[in-house]
Amino acid sequence: MRWRPLMTLRLSTAPTQNLGAGPHGTRVTFPITGGSFEGDRLRGKVLPGGDDWTTKRPDGVVELDLRITLETDDGALIYMTFQGLRDDGAPGAPYFRTAPRFETAEPKYSFLNRLLAVGKGEIRADGPVHVIEELL
Amino acid sequence: MESRLLMTLQVAVVGTQKLGAVPLGTRVIALVGSGHFEGPRLRGKVLPGSGDWTLLRGDGVLELDLRLTLETDDGALIYMTSFGLRHGPPEVIAAIARGASVDPSTYYFRTTPRFETGNPRYAFLNRLLAVSSGDRRPEGPIYTIHEIL
Repeated sequence: MRWRPLMTLRLSTAPTQNLGAGPHGTRVTFPITGGSFEGDRLRGKVLPGGDDWTTKRPDGVVELDLRITLETDDGALIYMTFQGLRDDGAPGAPYFRTAPRFETAEPKYSFLNRLLAVGKGEIRADGPVHVIEELL
Repeated sequence: MESRLLMTLQVAVVGTQKLGAVPLGTRVIALVGSGHFEGPRLRGKVLPGSGDWTLLRGDGVLELDLRLTLETDDGALIYMTSFGLRHGPPEVIAAIARGASVDPSTYYFRTTPRFETGNPRYAFLNRLLAVSSGDRRPEGPIYTIHEIL
């Protein structure tokens, strides 16, 4: 597989909403209050209003389901979603990987509509950081 | 991004259901009748009843939504779903539609498989993300699937 860096995404989150044990597992949502993204081809900020609807499964793996809106520094809006997995008990190091998808109507960024990507996530003191690469 | 080979998967498309223009694009359901998969940690066959619910978008990109049941050679059932995208130059896409053999490096055909199983021997599949690179052969697609490390 060949890869190309797409962006590093930094998110800031509000206190979680702990919904408790639902039919699929323990549901915790992480409201997204802002953030930034930067790569060779795009950069800008994360708009408030997104969220990551996480579910901790009985086998300990957390399923991620994020929806956010990005605004580039030249004013384009990009809808971004990802599904992913976080397994803090994975052998060696925590496994925190996502499969982002993008939608935009702005022609300059329409390449985002046509690619698949993978992100490697990490929880830092100031919030989650995702290093996202395009699958070539 | 680091990855390692999980399996090579070949499926046989035995028919299509052309639903025509639906609200989001042109829907064609490709029926998968059989297939096989092989990798260092698992091998077996694809069970009938699987399929790919494809949607041709207005921008010419084909969205793929593959759902398969795999059966390993030691009897475990694995549910696999795989969202993907396929697009390329019009002449290449037309050649694929005609059933010609096309060099897979001339178009984009990538997917992100996910797996579910209740069999403890294969529970590692429940805990990984994967990507695949596809090759649309006339007899059906071949996917080279890598685990994201």
